[in-house]
Amino acid sequence: MLRIAHLVDDTNPGGVTRYLDFLASDPAMAALARQEIVVVPRNRPASVRVAADVIVSHLAISWRGLPGLMALRARHAGTPLIHVEHSYSAGFVAANVTARRRFFTLLRTAYALFDRVVAVSHAQGRWLLARDVVRPEALTVIQPQVDLSRFRAIPRPSGPIRCFGAIGRLDGQKGFELLVQAFRALEDPELMLKVFGDGPERTRLEALAAGDPRIGFEGFAPDPSQAYAACDAVVMPSRWEPYGLVAQEALAAGRPVLVSGVDGLSDHVASGAIPMAGTGVAALTVAMQEMCGKMPAELLPAHQPARPGLADQWGTLLGGVLQDTLSDKVAQAA
Amino acid sequence: MPKASIVVPAFNAAETLPETLRSLLAQTFPDFEIVVVDDGSTDRTVAVVRSFADRRIRVVQQPNRGLPGARNSGIDAARGEFIGFCDADDLWRPTKLAAHVAHLEANPQVGLSYSGSDLIDMESRPLKVAMRPRLRNVTAAHVFLRNPVGNGSAPVFRRAALDAIRWRPAQETVRDWWFDETFRQSEDIECWLRFALTTDWEIEGVPGQLTRYRIAPGGLSASLHKQLAAWDRVVEKLQPLASDFFARHAPVARAYQLRYLARRAFSMGNGPEAVRLVRASLASSRRPLVAEPVKTLTTIGASLALNMFGKAAGSALLARLKSAHRT
Repeated sequence: MLRIAHLVDDTNPGGVTRYLDFLASDPAMAALARQEIVVVPRNRPASVRVAADVIVSHLAISWRGLPGLMALRARHAGTPLIHVEHSYSAGFVAANVTARRRFFTLLRTAYALFDRVVAVSHAQGRWLLARDVVRPEALTVIQPQVDLSRFRAIPRPSGPIRCFGAIGRLDGQKGFELLVQAFRALEDPELMLKVFGDGPERTRLEALAAGDPRIGFEGFAPDPSQAYAACDAVVMPSRWEPYGLVAQEALAAGRPVLVSGVDGLSDHVASGAIPMAGTGVAALTVAMQEMCGKMPAELLPAHQPARPGLADQWGTLLGGVLQDTLSDKVAQAA
Repeated sequence: MPKASIVVPAFNAAETLPETLRSLLAQTFPDFEIVVVDDGSTDRTVAVVRSFADRRIRVVQQPNRGLPGARNSGIDAARGEFIGFCDADDLWRPTKLAAHVAHLEANPQVGLSYSGSDLIDMESRPLKVAMRPRLRNVTAAHVFLRNPVGNGSAPVFRRAALDAIRWRPAQETVRDWWFDETFRQSEDIECWLRFALTTDWEIEGVPGQLTRYRIAPGGLSASLHKQLAAWDRVVEKLQPLASDFFARHAPVARAYQLRYLARRAFSMGNGPEAVRLVRASLASSRRPLVAEPVKTLTTIGASLALNMFGKAAGSALLARLKSAHRT
């Protein structure tokens, strides 16, 4: 049986971890190959012994980690290596990178070590090509998936939209401070904003929310379906979001999703998420005001989007990369 | 399809527009269109454009929306892969478009290409002042503090990059916005800074003073306050997008802005106002004093001299002041 090793260096709760849990537990993926999650030390992925036919990196690329990636490539010279880009996107670079040329050089150098690079959204894939950091023939787009059945099972909200939910780590990426300020500008005393998550921005967010009893900080929800069940609609004002799994989950739970539209969030607009017009607090207030009082069903797509099966997409990718490796070996033998 | 479009917003510009259009039609790079947006003019602006009878020039007419609204309509109508702007009283040097097209084609990650500017007076005579901005390794902080892009007739954008900041406000029914039409001043810096903060496109300059930027004399001191208020509103608008960035840079950027306004007050001959603005600048941050001591000290000295001894003493320092770079 084919063996795939998925290397991770970050096991914090979040979209990536949920995706990997699904990859490792999905029967269709198991039918494809034996999926093994291997936790490796940051920057030293080659230090762990891995026996696999294909190695998939879910690591965050950095200059500091580059020697480790080179060691990984050297140690597994004959094994196909695939990298899944969970970390970077146009919005990430806009918000975090000042030395941009240098950063794109890093990505170009790191990606060259892999046989394939997987983008987690079409928007991210277009960006990687536009920035010329990956060869078009090496790029594949596979949107992450999780088991949506427990989200689909959540009862639909019965009344009009009154409670907005924000779900994610409380850090600069998620843009929740915009959300708190935008929400405060909504006057209706019946409205609520529930923030699920924890992180370094919590104190600042609580200070921004101080004095508005409609805003609640619910802490980290180990079971995200509880968070969706507790609200009528979900807001994702993220500054960057390579994919944004929460949008997929929220739509499955029958919660309309308002998104900033950056990066991978534009993929979700294609499947029914609502893009806000413009950036900033005022634009977000206007967009939320539009949703207030409407029935959630009015703001949801008529049909859940049909997604290509995850195992089918991985199967095609693995087939391609193994065939390339095989033809290389044949060519060398000849 | 032309390779490049040059958007010329024009409001009651019949006097200056012919010279502007001649400077654009004289570009050495051949493949371009000029989109003149007549922003509800009540003078002969449209007749002046038509009198050129040049197929490279198109006119878009609209009820008055203001400068950012005219630029937006121009972008909306533009068909080029690269889009430049030239206000209806400014001039382009003949090689400007060629320089930016070459720059953008050679550097696919650059989304906004700009150049320095020479300043001219109402009779198109050169003033002994130039804007020679930083050209390379420009970050959002540089844009905020020193605005290297400079003025609205300096940049040439890549269309794809410009479209990264387009949006459709709820009240807008006709077309998208790129510039924020709720601003009547500071709409340039708002656009450049939003571009720097929310996209991953690079901002880079090309050498040379390729724009000739016209300085209108006089003006009222009241307009300085409006200018400052608009600048503050830019910060207020964009601050939530990058709160750490603004916490770090806003006091210094405001000090530079106040110093700039102090120089404007000085050139209007308003000593008390110049001194007040210089004081406010120093109170906001001492960084301009350390980073650009000569320019900051001449501003302080000239303002004080004007305030205490009147115009003659101030003018003695004016010569000094004018030889310093003006931004």
